[in-house]
Amino acid sequence: MQTTRRSLLKATTLSFSAAALAGCDRVITQVNREFFGEGLPSKLILPTSVEIDPEFHLLSRAAFGSWPGDVQRVKKMGREKWIEEQLNPGSISDTACDLRAEQFESLYFSAGDAYEFRKPVLREEITRHAMLRAIYSRRQLFEVMVEFWTDHLNIDLEKGDCIYLKPSDDRDVIRKHALGNFHDLIRASATSPAMLVYLDGKANKVRRKTDDKPNENYARELMELHTMGASGGYTQDDVREAARCLSGWTFDRNRFFAMNQSESFFKPDWHDDGEKRVLGQVIPAKGGESDLDRLVDIVCSHTSTANFLALKLCRRFVSEIPPENLVKRVAAEFTRTHGDIKCVLRLLLNSEEFIASRGQLLKRPLKFMVSAMRALAADTQAEKSVLEPLQRMGHGFFQYPTPDGYTDDELPWMGTLMWRWNFGMALAAGKQPGVRVNVYELGKALGNGKAANHVAYFSHLVGRCPTEAEITALGDGDEKQTVGLILAGPAFQRC
Amino acid sequence: MSTFTRRALLSKLALAAAPTFAAVPREETHTLIHVFLRGGCDTLNLWVPYADDQYYRLRPSLAIKASEAIRLTDRYALHPMMKPMESMFKEGRLGAVQSVGVDNTTGSHFECQDMMEHGDTMDGTPAGGGWLGRYLRLRAVDKQSPLSAVAIGTTLPESLRGAPAVSVIERLDDIAIKTPSGDSEAVVKALKAMYGADVTLLGGRGVETLDLFKRVSALQGKDYQSENGAVYPKDSFGSGMREIARLLKARLGLQVACIDLGGWDTHFFQGNAIGQQAECIKTLAEGIAALDADLKGHRGRYTVMITTEFGRRVYENASLGTDHGRGFTFMALGDRVKGGQVLGSWPIKADDDVNVNTPGPGGLHLETDYRHVFAEVLRGSLGLSKAESVKLFPGVVPKAVGLL
Repeated sequence: MQTTRRSLLKATTLSFSAAALAGCDRVITQVNREFFGEGLPSKLILPTSVEIDPEFHLLSRAAFGSWPGDVQRVKKMGREKWIEEQLNPGSISDTACDLRAEQFESLYFSAGDAYEFRKPVLREEITRHAMLRAIYSRRQLFEVMVEFWTDHLNIDLEKGDCIYLKPSDDRDVIRKHALGNFHDLIRASATSPAMLVYLDGKANKVRRKTDDKPNENYARELMELHTMGASGGYTQDDVREAARCLSGWTFDRNRFFAMNQSESFFKPDWHDDGEKRVLGQVIPAKGGESDLDRLVDIVCSHTSTANFLALKLCRRFVSEIPPENLVKRVAAEFTRTHGDIKCVLRLLLNSEEFIASRGQLLKRPLKFMVSAMRALAADTQAEKSVLEPLQRMGHGFFQYPTPDGYTDDELPWMGTLMWRWNFGMALAAGKQPGVRVNVYELGKALGNGKAANHVAYFSHLVGRCPTEAEITALGDGDEKQTVGLILAGPAFQRC
Repeated sequence: MSTFTRRALLSKLALAAAPTFAAVPREETHTLIHVFLRGGCDTLNLWVPYADDQYYRLRPSLAIKASEAIRLTDRYALHPMMKPMESMFKEGRLGAVQSVGVDNTTGSHFECQDMMEHGDTMDGTPAGGGWLGRYLRLRAVDKQSPLSAVAIGTTLPESLRGAPAVSVIERLDDIAIKTPSGDSEAVVKALKAMYGADVTLLGGRGVETLDLFKRVSALQGKDYQSENGAVYPKDSFGSGMREIARLLKARLGLQVACIDLGGWDTHFFQGNAIGQQAECIKTLAEGIAALDADLKGHRGRYTVMITTEFGRRVYENASLGTDHGRGFTFMALGDRVKGGQVLGSWPIKADDDVNVNTPGPGGLHLETDYRHVFAEVLRGSLGLSKAESVKLFPGVVPKAVGLL
């Protein structure tokens, strides 16, 4: 994601005019619909099979669901080509989304400078930004991976000063490396001010005086959660030695007259510069700050890391209990390419197991909400009223309290179905505050000029034809009720 | 922490599947009612240390006279406005711990509330999310209902941040399957048909949710009749307590209910047996008493905890009020509470003035870390193992307080 000075200026200008012109949001909507293809196509082709359409399936997993017309576009260009395009997000123009999502000033500041903002402003801006990107970005696979790494390298805004530091972590760690190299991602995360605060790395120093203590929290989570996994084969000694490698990296926004005041930095006198031995490999003494690079390299290159990441990716993209053979192949690709995230995803998304897993996953609340809004070509600025249902469903952005991140287990997400139903029905009826949809126009596109029926709506939203029983269950309410019920029904909860 | 081995996963699923179909919400769940007195409550005038001369010496105009207070023990008496709660103490269901607090020295409402709600301390290991949110997340798999956690009001309290499902409501009527078309019967019928036909876990949970909704909606739309002659005060705290009682009676799987009561920041004209603070105490005591009377038939099913961010100075200030202090009296009510006693040492230790040796405002010395009390409340009410306790309050070895 390039946040160039120009685009910043452009966004600033736009947001200034927003203040000047009442209803500027509407102007953006109009511009996006007229010029950037955010509207509804006049005609939509529907799946005719009882199996979920393979392109619809791809868009349900490698994207936050399909925007009307997306399925045809993928079919036309071919799924492999679409995957390639998505793996190179820089090649995709995202102007329409930028117009909505670049307005948040606090996201452009360095870690230390973000302290100028009040907490509610920071929380609102980073959250709205994440939601708008998920709904409107054309770089959908990129956004899906941003969500994946945000869970993987979880940081809770509410812990310590994290709320000030997460915006730069989101920008310089997660988004910068979301489709890059895994080693670089972990290296960036290790010295991210937000991570140094969240997992206490900033307090990790060599034991010299009696009150100096190493802090092993980050070193442990680095192995347990970020790379090798709990059963990855490291020992308590490895954790301790890793903490020694990491000692000295810290963040302190109160350093005056420092050039890099608002960034993390390496403090040589806090660093344990002796020889270390991590996972059987010796890191010679006097390595200084390069100890960190060696450590990252050792843990990221470990076989357990490839296995752990492969399983996690397969659980996110394929099924809760993915085929072992696929996990093995993904892990091998991870090892072969030294953690090239694009290569790993290419193999995963083109695999037979991926296609065969249609409908086997439960959408987590974020995907449920975003896929519903995308399917209806919704218009929103993701204000508080739109984020509130997500909170009710237990999936608020950047709010998972412990370092393991929001889970891919399905059961914990099934307790909040009532709020899903209410959101789906309110959305379809145009009663969800902060979101505008036009079910009538969608119906026209689906019905080829005439009013659409239950079958058309269902096929559009679920990607396959409904069964007789499913049609009967929907009853005979008006189109808004029908669409609401489809969004609330079990078929739409899956992907 | 999740381990991703195939075996662990399968056994987890198998375990998880069992309670899922056992209609979780119908179970005999215990409810923790968390009352937060916002603004720093002067608990010295609630639990009056009438046997302490220093109290009367330092508060010439604000102290509650021994003759006016409701005598409980040979040391403590209650503020006259606490009258509705007197019997609870005598029955041994209401107890208190003196000199509880958070070690924050800033004297800031915001910081002290924030720390307490997140379960943090100045030099402790901070953890993410609110302490109740973390707790519910720890148990997200086996016990969950859409109504596991409810906050009465309009904003999410920090203590519940991170909870797997939390509803912020003002009234029970807010919990409903909202059908914009108005034809709720048709919508419920359709949902039942769709989820009923789904043979997976998802279908089962959908049917359960509909069942839960049915029980909530049966309570709605008609005037609520409280039991045992309970009269809820007409203020928002009273109506909040009434909604909590209704939820509890309906057995909807409510585990935590949070409610706030403000108005305790009494720097000016605090009053004594009557006055500004007395009105707040009246609101609190009447609301709690109404709930307790209304729920007489459900006594074993709830525990009420009453906390505040800090107590106030022992001495009164020049504008006949009290300034921010440190320790406060923590209160708990319920059948599981070892009530009828005020724990903590006697005489109460306090700094008369701002102490030059310890930073922060004067007031009652912190004798008991609030986290030990909170952990004990959870252990006694909803259940909390040692291992869970460590996750909840990192770096704290739980210590028995003796209240539950």
